[in-house]
Amino acid sequence: MNTLNQVLLNPAFQLGADLDGWRAAGGGQGLDAALADPGAIIATLEAADLRGMGGAGFPTHRKWAAAAAAPAPDGDKYVVCNGNEDEPGTFKDRHLLRWTPHQVIEGALIAAVAIRANRVVLYINPHQAEGRAQMRRAAQQWAGTEAVRRIERLIGKPLEIAVVATSGRYIGGEETAVISSLEGGFPFPRRKPPFPAESGCHGAPTLINNTETLANVPHILHHGAAWYRGLGVGDAAGTKLYSLSGDVLLPGLYELPMGTSLHDLIFVHGGGMLEGKAFKGVFTGGPSNTLLTARDLDVALDFDSVRLRRSRLGTGAMIVISEGTSIVRKVAEYIEFFANGSCGQCPSCKAGTFQMARLLDRVDSGRAGPGDIAALRNLCRILPGSGRCGLIDGAVTVVESSLHTFPAEYGVAEPAPAETA
Amino acid sequence: MTSMISHAQALQALRPGADAPMRADGLAVNDLLERFHPDYGAKARVSLRIGANAGAPCHPALAGLLESNALIDDLDLAGAEPLATDVLVIGGGGAGAAAAVTAAMRGARVIIATKLRIGDSNTVMAEGGIQAAVGADDSLQRHYEDTLRGGHNEGDRALIAQMVSDAPEVIRWLIDLGMAFDLAEDKALGSTLLRKKAGGTTASRILCHRDFTGLEMMRVLREAVELQRGIEQLNRCPAVELLSHDDGSCAGAILYDLERRSFVLVRARAVVLATGGSGRLHLQGFPTSNHYGATADGLVLAYRLGARMCDLDSFQYHPTGVAHPRHLAGGLISESARSAGAHLLNGLGERFVDELKPRDVVAAAILRECAEGRGIARDGQTGVFLDARALVAADPDILETRLVSLGHLAAKCGLDPRQEPFLVYPTLHYQNGGVMIDGDGATSVPGLLCAGEVSGGIHGRNRLMGNALLDIISFGRRAGTRAAESLGQRQAGRGGINHVHRWRRALAQAELPADVRAPLLYPSYGNFHLRRTAAA
Repeated sequence: MNTLNQVLLNPAFQLGADLDGWRAAGGGQGLDAALADPGAIIATLEAADLRGMGGAGFPTHRKWAAAAAAPAPDGDKYVVCNGNEDEPGTFKDRHLLRWTPHQVIEGALIAAVAIRANRVVLYINPHQAEGRAQMRRAAQQWAGTEAVRRIERLIGKPLEIAVVATSGRYIGGEETAVISSLEGGFPFPRRKPPFPAESGCHGAPTLINNTETLANVPHILHHGAAWYRGLGVGDAAGTKLYSLSGDVLLPGLYELPMGTSLHDLIFVHGGGMLEGKAFKGVFTGGPSNTLLTARDLDVALDFDSVRLRRSRLGTGAMIVISEGTSIVRKVAEYIEFFANGSCGQCPSCKAGTFQMARLLDRVDSGRAGPGDIAALRNLCRILPGSGRCGLIDGAVTVVESSLHTFPAEYGVAEPAPAETA
Repeated sequence: MTSMISHAQALQALRPGADAPMRADGLAVNDLLERFHPDYGAKARVSLRIGANAGAPCHPALAGLLESNALIDDLDLAGAEPLATDVLVIGGGGAGAAAAVTAAMRGARVIIATKLRIGDSNTVMAEGGIQAAVGADDSLQRHYEDTLRGGHNEGDRALIAQMVSDAPEVIRWLIDLGMAFDLAEDKALGSTLLRKKAGGTTASRILCHRDFTGLEMMRVLREAVELQRGIEQLNRCPAVELLSHDDGSCAGAILYDLERRSFVLVRARAVVLATGGSGRLHLQGFPTSNHYGATADGLVLAYRLGARMCDLDSFQYHPTGVAHPRHLAGGLISESARSAGAHLLNGLGERFVDELKPRDVVAAAILRECAEGRGIARDGQTGVFLDARALVAADPDILETRLVSLGHLAAKCGLDPRQEPFLVYPTLHYQNGGVMIDGDGATSVPGLLCAGEVSGGIHGRNRLMGNALLDIISFGRRAGTRAAESLGQRQAGRGGINHVHRWRRALAQAELPADVRAPLLYPSYGNFHLRRTAAA
């Protein structure tokens, strides 16, 4: 059975901004089902076990339920499609925005129905100019359609669909930074609680979902929760977009059943290691998680299984490293990315990422002394939890993990003491 | 092997004191080239399979290098000494030196990296001279037309027009740097430049310094590099790979320091490749007049980063390379000897070609004589005679004045040019094609510029004598100027070798071998192997 590209990347849906084509391919029926029984939407998502695909893997129905239950003081509620995707190694949302804008927008409209939102915001990274243009065109095609009129009758207010450019910065994708950004400010993350679902944009309840998450919703409503659950491997539900990159023969975007093993992703779909070199490790879910190594090749790539290996599936990005590629150099690149991406609000993050980048650069260029490694370890101990958002934690995780797993590459003779027995 | 006339027999066939007869044979130029020139024929080209020129023709030996694996891995970058500069010039010949000096004069910090030492290059071997239309009976238009026609109308017209227009200013610049040219009259002031005629030209346009013009040019360029503030030299540091940004632009280069046996990572806002040609590949077994370092490194590096190339199946074989003695084979006997009136004679004592025809025609004519049994064999080497006896007889001082190098070469060959002709055979001399550039030397890869023999398009499919020295200074200065303009434009970010990973995927998908590694850096007999094979 061909398990590749069954749903989101199904060739029949790669249409761009073509609403008629989308309907002809079966689009719109999810929204019809949602409108027929708005009260059942959240329960269906719960039964389908849809998770947040932006990295957290948080059960989607819980966010939706919170937003649906929250009172709207000024009468406004927001649904935000988060299309800020910016971190190294992740390239899934830009594909969905560019090639399947209606899939995404229909998901957002169903969310509006479920939580009775009157403002739908499509929050797109301006660096993805083509995706933004397609989304803008697609949003216009929905205006005045019967489906939208039905939503307006249901919520009793006009429905506004807006395409908004993000700041284009990495931090702008953080949930609370999205809110700062939509309110017109610099994308500074805020402390939680209050959670956006209760008090978000201008104090209104705001449901923020990743692009891929929303894109799954129309299919679940159309085909049912049981169908969606059946797509996954074992206990995992649905499919996942995996952004495969690094030292593999065929890097690219692969939609596979959630829970496909890392081995199959790399060696079956990715064509194996480039030049047949030995596999060394994978930066999973982008550059802010614990590295997986050769003994983790059998791991099922779903949120829970990866977490059992003390890492996270994250966005589904898999940056594969072979013998011959320096772990330190990669980590140095990523920390430099975080240092440039830090918003600068929290001194520990602003200075901490910079210091780690400086130290890693010295290790990478062979200029580091023993004191530098000790300094790195100290930073890994004191920095976590010191920021408003998770940026500094992610940066520390990848440094700590690489130090722990590949001490020799740092010029450290002995492995650091294991944290768990 | 075709039978040859022995050296002793051929000497007897020479008519002392009389002008040799010219054989009229009626073979049209195109027929001659197609049948006898090494650029033609079945072994002369294959189609490239990957890269920016996929599908385009290329010499098989060169294609093997262009479609090869990199010498280094990501891991080699770790521990490499990091340097940063505005402009990195790779190559220490005339083009590289001109680019470095020009960029530094415009305020850029420059690193010039050379494989051996500054000046160790083909520039110093250019003996004949440099073309510039400075005579009253000459014009830029004539220079343009000669160059275009010499290249079989395949040259890039805009590049040619720009180069010939630059020529007078190039000469002025070189004189300002202190270069000496031969003068028409021997007086201290008010003399004019001596102009000589070159093969394939319609006017006397060659300016020279005796018959070691390139050496004199490199002398002043080397001094300029040494004295110009803002230039750092990295000698004995061949480039093994370029660095790229994620957007595919050039970010610098990785060098290999031969003395310390370690990698050096140079980040730069602009890189000028001036690595010269590829004669040391010894295409089709030909000897070469080229410098030891001419191993096509620049082509390999630029192609891997995505630069577009042209005319990769077109090379120049200089007609008069030394054929005997064997240890000097390939060494050049300057065209200035033929300009001055030396004749080519076959084993029957006949002239068989107008010696001042373009180089490809003369070379093909010599190969024809050898193929048709009128060549001369001596100690296993074959060739034809280059006869300068009448020339020396007419002007006994000429070996001390205008043809100094010829005299030296005769001594090295152990013959007396007054008595005995040289045995010559075509020698692989110049790479006509190369990286495509615009008028400023910019390639299709942002941040990467090229100047000199590594670039292509100027000389079409055959270069005229004296246009190489003009090319390197004209485009070297322009590339240096353009590189200095990049100052402050792009932040020299981290840069890596992601393009190499992409390249390796392409190799695997085209089922090309991954164990052929390039750039070569040195010829195979050079006894230096930086991971040339997978096993090493």
